[in-house]
Amino acid sequence: MQTPILKMEHITKEFTGVKALKDANLDLYEGEVHALVGENGAGKSTLMKILTGIHQRSGGKIEFMGKELHLKNPKEAQDMGIIIVHQELNMMNHLSVAENIFIGREEKKAGFWLDDAAIKKQSQSLFQKLGISINPSETIGNLTVGKQQMVEIAKAISHNAKIIVFDEPTAALTESEINELFRMISELKKKGVAMIYISHRMDEIQRITDRVTVMRDGEYIGTVNTKDTTKDEIINMMVGRVIYEDPKTESTVKEDAEVVLKAEGITMYPTVKNASFSLRKGEILGFAGLMGAGRTELARAIFGADKKDKGTIYIHGKRVEISSPMDAVANGIGYLSEDRKRFGVAVDLSVAENSVLSSLKKFSHLGFVNSHAVHRISKEYCEKLKTKTPSVHQLVRNLSGGNQQKVVIAKWLIQNSDILIFDEPTRGIDVGAKSEIYTLMNELAQMGKSIIMISSELTEVLRMSDRIIVMCEGRITGELDIKDANQQEIMKLATKREATG
Amino acid sequence: MNDILENIKTKGMQKFIALGALILLYAAFSVFGNNFFTVDTLVSIFDASYYIGFLAIGVTFVIITGGIDLSIGTVMMCSAIVGGTLYNNAGLPLWLCLFIIILVGGIFGLANGIMVSRLKLPPFIATLGTMMVASGVGSIVSNVQSTTFPMRSSPDGWYKDIFRTADNFPTGIFVLIAFTVIAVILLNKTVIGRYTFAIGSNKEAARLSGVNVNKWETVVYMISGLFAGLAGIAYAATYTTILPGAGQGFELQAIAGVVVGGTSLSGGVGSVIGTFIGVFIMSVLKIGLPYVDLQPHYQTLITGIVVIGAVLLDIYRSKKEKSVKIKS
Amino acid sequence: MRNKKMITSLLAVFILAGILTGCGGNTMTSQKTVEIIAKGFQHDFWKAVKKGADQAGKDLGVKINFVGPEGEGAIAAQVEMINNAINKKPDAICIAALDTTASLDAVNKAKSNNIPVIGFDSGVPGAPEGTIFANASTDNYKAGELAAQKMFEAIQGKLATGNPRIGVVSQEANSQSISMRTQGFLDKMESLIKSTGKSVSIVGHTKFANGVSGGDVTIDIAIPPEINDTQGQTSAQTLLNKDDLIAIYGSNEFAAKAIINADSAISGGRIGNDKVVAVGFDSGALQIDAIRNRKFLGSVTQDPISIGYRAVELAVKAMNGESAEDVDTGSQWYTADNIDSDTIKPLLYQ
Repeated sequence: MQTPILKMEHITKEFTGVKALKDANLDLYEGEVHALVGENGAGKSTLMKILTGIHQRSGGKIEFMGKELHLKNPKEAQDMGIIIVHQELNMMNHLSVAENIFIGREEKKAGFWLDDAAIKKQSQSLFQKLGISINPSETIGNLTVGKQQMVEIAKAISHNAKIIVFDEPTAALTESEINELFRMISELKKKGVAMIYISHRMDEIQRITDRVTVMRDGEYIGTVNTKDTTKDEIINMMVGRVIYEDPKTESTVKEDAEVVLKAEGITMYPTVKNASFSLRKGEILGFAGLMGAGRTELARAIFGADKKDKGTIYIHGKRVEISSPMDAVANGIGYLSEDRKRFGVAVDLSVAENSVLSSLKKFSHLGFVNSHAVHRISKEYCEKLKTKTPSVHQLVRNLSGGNQQKVVIAKWLIQNSDILIFDEPTRGIDVGAKSEIYTLMNELAQMGKSIIMISSELTEVLRMSDRIIVMCEGRITGELDIKDANQQEIMKLATKREATG
Repeated sequence: MNDILENIKTKGMQKFIALGALILLYAAFSVFGNNFFTVDTLVSIFDASYYIGFLAIGVTFVIITGGIDLSIGTVMMCSAIVGGTLYNNAGLPLWLCLFIIILVGGIFGLANGIMVSRLKLPPFIATLGTMMVASGVGSIVSNVQSTTFPMRSSPDGWYKDIFRTADNFPTGIFVLIAFTVIAVILLNKTVIGRYTFAIGSNKEAARLSGVNVNKWETVVYMISGLFAGLAGIAYAATYTTILPGAGQGFELQAIAGVVVGGTSLSGGVGSVIGTFIGVFIMSVLKIGLPYVDLQPHYQTLITGIVVIGAVLLDIYRSKKEKSVKIKS
Repeated sequence: MRNKKMITSLLAVFILAGILTGCGGNTMTSQKTVEIIAKGFQHDFWKAVKKGADQAGKDLGVKINFVGPEGEGAIAAQVEMINNAINKKPDAICIAALDTTASLDAVNKAKSNNIPVIGFDSGVPGAPEGTIFANASTDNYKAGELAAQKMFEAIQGKLATGNPRIGVVSQEANSQSISMRTQGFLDKMESLIKSTGKSVSIVGHTKFANGVSGGDVTIDIAIPPEINDTQGQTSAQTLLNKDDLIAIYGSNEFAAKAIINADSAISGGRIGNDKVVAVGFDSGALQIDAIRNRKFLGSVTQDPISIGYRAVELAVKAMNGESAEDVDTGSQWYTADNIDSDTIKPLLYQ
């Protein structure tokens, strides 16, 4: 048995009184892809930040290539060949590809003058080695997210990386980009690079990793061989309880349910082309497709957040003009953005303030807010939705992702919205909170609310939807009743390009 | 080859528009202004561009990092006052005083840099404070009296030749061009420039990539200060007497020039050549408007409209660029 | 050890001295105080005003407290200073207001506190009847007339040929004192030229224009859009670039400086006693230099020492319950010939 390249033992980390890591362990071998999994807040990111020199450990021991390791900053880690590819890509968008790769260690003449020709050449040969084609002079901001990530990986390799940490690398990638990424990972594996792979996506973990280390609440739970372990077993280790993910088999919507929303010929160049669909009362309508299929754009056009070029919308059979979110809200439509922090909640306001953000008019008189009523209603909804918060005065910033999502839901329910658009409702939410959100969505549907759910996770779509609409390149390529739907069928429609279809 | 073309297409557009606007403005004033199209007027346009030009070039670096430097106007005056007072009262040789003027500017810049990078003050607040400090220091040093630099007729009048000779040759334009070239090289060919763009584009990413962000941010504010010092010399040479408490407002004129030249206030994008052109657009406007017999209040109004128009154009342009990107 | 003892005893002496002088101050409260709020501090002009005020304070036995904002644009800062001064409950208060309307509240407040207000320099023009005790100021209108008179004498011979132009550079159109200097100049020049049988057009700024077009002589006023050296120079230069210009007047130091800087930017220069006749106002290093070199024919100066002195004199009269009229503190014409004389020299500043 070879000795591990990296050994992290009994790592602890305290942030001014809060214990983020209690007892974390990890060992890693050359050429291994090692999954690190755990619910949000389990301490995965903190452990990785310690490994890559961004944070310093409070206690424990790190051994790297047989030597004890004490890193003071990210640069030291980089120099030793320990690199992290961040979840939120850390690129300087205005700089070129080559400039990004070599930032902080430019080729210099006389220590001062830049030699850009040299770094371009080096980038080029780097890309060749990895078998990818990217122009080193292109501005990073002009590349797709997938390509940007490849640049990040190339950057890591150019550091002569011995360990690469991937933090949720596939969150924003298309299917083909994911395949490309996995191809690169197996290349690196052959070269003996050790990789730590953080992800929530179990199928990916099963596909490419050798071992899985599970963490929970800042503690090491265990390490297992991937091929000897089932998905459910790993999830059980993560949450400490049993969760079942059963697909829905039959629609719960009544045959004669009223059509609450009908969209006809919605077009928004260049992302949405002639999309028509209808939504019935109490229905969960799943929107499946690959990244960039135009699902979010369609939702935003219906909500009035972006201006559509063509198309009509009927609410309860009546034609309505929706040209701004204000119009949409007035027609009872609520939108839960995929990017909660940017569009969904005001993180520096309290739970109560967020809950009534859209309906403040109801709770104010002559411009004065009736804070008593606000307090009462937001508390009522916290209880109804089981939002975990010490009080309704807590800042939303301090809530977990799942609970932030519940605050957004409360906001729309208080506003009396009966059509809710959920855009990637469980992105960045841990497994435990996920099932709570699912339960909640089912309850909402039973209450007679109608839900449009955009999701990139097929398991989620299959588990929740009564009906599934699939999009590809801005067009609706198919509609499936849940009883006819399966992963293969959806993927076929999701890749049904215009030329071939 | 494709590379260069691509570069012109994406980065150079604003510069071309700005240059076109500058030429158009100059031509329009030449046609409609009385006596505008003369060498003397051109020299006056240069005169009005030297100090604002230096201020603007310096602050371009800061703005590209996503920061702002509001102190440059009063720092310019303060450093000139310090130099002038040392010349008049301490009898130091003039060349040394001119050197000290640049140095004082640099010290203020260093202070700004430390406050922003190490003490984590928001640039707006830090440099607003420095703006007032510099104004106060100028008043204290000069004992609240105006500072007069040597006149052309005096033996030390040579420094005026740096910007304009006795027979009215605008030497200063070459000085300004020389420093513009230096700044262009700094920004595009050296590590300073690379990190300036990197910080403005994504400070955290630059930090995580092992760039010493604190150090380079400080350097950038120092560059701004040093250029404010240069501006102080240009101001003294052009206008001879300097009043303490003056200088406020020049920073906004300089920033307006920078923005008109296509540098984005949100950081990451910008060019010194654009700034150079932007400053001249502002100067041609300033000098030209009186020549078309406009009343002063209309002149201010039109200048404001031009600044807003330039920024709108920039926003429109970058929006268009993005929409093109999605299509491809 | 010894040293320590000495320091301690020295300290004791200082503290004691402090207490004693403090007590001394208290016993002196019977001395009347006059608060003086000037328009600025940076010009030597205000230093000279302060000199006159301090002299009068010494002569008349009153305590003088002289303050002013840092720049002449600091209207709010000055209003604050006036309010502070009133809160100190002085026996009289002298004001040179930057902005009349902004200062009116403060002036009314002084009135209701029974503190007499004396205007000096530009005073507080337009203040309601009875709020201002009296003013000690240069009659700026008269001073402007003086400048016109002197200029007219120099250009009389040139008026006959063609349609000559006379340029005026004015720092701004809002300040009362500067407007009066400009207006006095314009009115006097117009009437002098008319007395030779010629007609006059005044153009360039709506506030001063006389609506006559195509007059034999044109008076052209340039006012910079912002008060800074660049804009001042540009305004002066537009005038100097006009070929028919025979004379130019700058109605304060800023305007004179603008003319001098603009002229230096023109090849060969345009102003001079045998070329474009230039007349200035106030003084300052550049202007004095221009007069000595006979680039400027001469300039009108106020008498800042007299302004300060007379203001305090009025203040004392007011606190003693005497009555008084407005005082004209006078203005003087100076040229290269009398610039170093005893009557002029103390009035000028570098």
